[in-house]
Amino acid sequence: MTESETEIIMGERGISTFEAFRATLKRDLLVAFKGRNELLNPLMFFFIVVSLFPIGITPDREVLTEIAVGVLWVSALLASLLSLDNLYRSDYEDGSLELLLLSPHSLYFMTLAKILSHWLVSGLPLVLLSPLLGYMLALPTEAYWTMIVTLLLGTPILSLLGSIGVALTVSLGSRGLILAMIILPMSVPILIAGTLAVGSVMDGNPVGGHIAIMGAMLAVAASLAPLASAAALRISVN
Amino acid sequence: MWQWFHKWGSPKWFYDLSGRWLPWLIAGMAVFLTVGVVWALLYVPPDYQQGYTSRILVVHVAVAGTSLAFFPIMAIAGTVTLVWKMKMADMVAKAVASLGAWFSAITLATGSIWGSVMWGTWWEWTDSRLTSMLFQFFLLISVISLRSALNDSETAARACALLSIVGCINVVVIKYSVEWWNTLHQPASALSASSGSVNGIEFWLPTLIMVIAMYLFVAVSVMMGTRNEILQREGRSKWVQDLVKEG
Repeated sequence: MTESETEIIMGERGISTFEAFRATLKRDLLVAFKGRNELLNPLMFFFIVVSLFPIGITPDREVLTEIAVGVLWVSALLASLLSLDNLYRSDYEDGSLELLLLSPHSLYFMTLAKILSHWLVSGLPLVLLSPLLGYMLALPTEAYWTMIVTLLLGTPILSLLGSIGVALTVSLGSRGLILAMIILPMSVPILIAGTLAVGSVMDGNPVGGHIAIMGAMLAVAASLAPLASAAALRISVN
Repeated sequence: MWQWFHKWGSPKWFYDLSGRWLPWLIAGMAVFLTVGVVWALLYVPPDYQQGYTSRILVVHVAVAGTSLAFFPIMAIAGTVTLVWKMKMADMVAKAVASLGAWFSAITLATGSIWGSVMWGTWWEWTDSRLTSMLFQFFLLISVISLRSALNDSETAARACALLSIVGCINVVVIKYSVEWWNTLHQPASALSASSGSVNGIEFWLPTLIMVIAMYLFVAVSVMMGTRNEILQREGRSKWVQDLVKEG
């Protein structure tokens, strides 16, 4: 790590927490955009997994309409899981994570910045791609907006929850499977809320309540998950 | 009060105390378990709807009720580990985790056996209890495998403590979301209510005995597991070596 990078993380004496938050966010985005090919990987993974379902189950449009939301959500979950693997990984390996832990600013905001940048580079593109995949899965037109809104609310929750699991396992050599075992069961409520919302719009029912619950979930996750994530980082990095 | 609390932090004190308690607990467990199992499986009168199948429920309800206690216990032990850095709490948590996974698995198994007769299916996603118990089982397994993956026992203790607390909150959220899912996704079928028909005294008294037997069993297993763990971790301390020499 170069000196300037260190400076970005550590900051000079006396910068505010907000500035440190912005610096961490900016630094993480810069690092992410430096490896452009890796940036595409979660997106392509999402695309590939979704396209396996019609082949594996049936190309029948009626069946696809029925399962479309579930397929999109499960694929988004898997894509987020795989991309999360690198949330703290490279920082742990090059030692910048330790610097982050040493910084005088609240670790809560630092982890929040890292999670936000992770969501911006891997979650948001997935949401933007979802209408295309929805079309390929014969999702009914009236369900598009609900699907986009729920994914927009749900994918950050996946990143937030997942960050706890990643922080707990960051020091392990091979941890792909154990990470999946920790994160996937925890994501069930989001999966349920997301599919229910789209299902209810397809049945012609009001959807506001579902979206409100997802918003509440996001609020709770955003306030508590970075705390747990920060505590887990302190445990993993001695 | 605090002195009492700190005593629990001493492995030697726990080892001595549990050594004195265990014979009594085992005797109590043997009595309750024998009475409960024999009563439940041989003497509970057949239910007018379920016939003899209701006897399985006596065992199932006791195991299921107990298995709900494991995550809260682990979360409390985890909090003690994180706040007071007490090694004993982690040893207990380790013993509780694997026992909890077994209890969840047995709950699922006995529930499936009962369901296969009463509902005509071994597995029913529309029953929220089955689904949430399955995910509790998954989360317990993830705590166990996280512990086995981390080599350093200090790190493993605190990591598992944190995961237990997060998992405990999550199990509650999963429980409610699965119920919500079932009421909205597919209308709850009649089968969810069918266990309500057995509630006479000839049914709940053996159930109560079985529940007490299960809690005693949990206490005995956790104590034995913890003692085992103490001996392994404190192998270098003098009192353990004296104990081994005495045979």
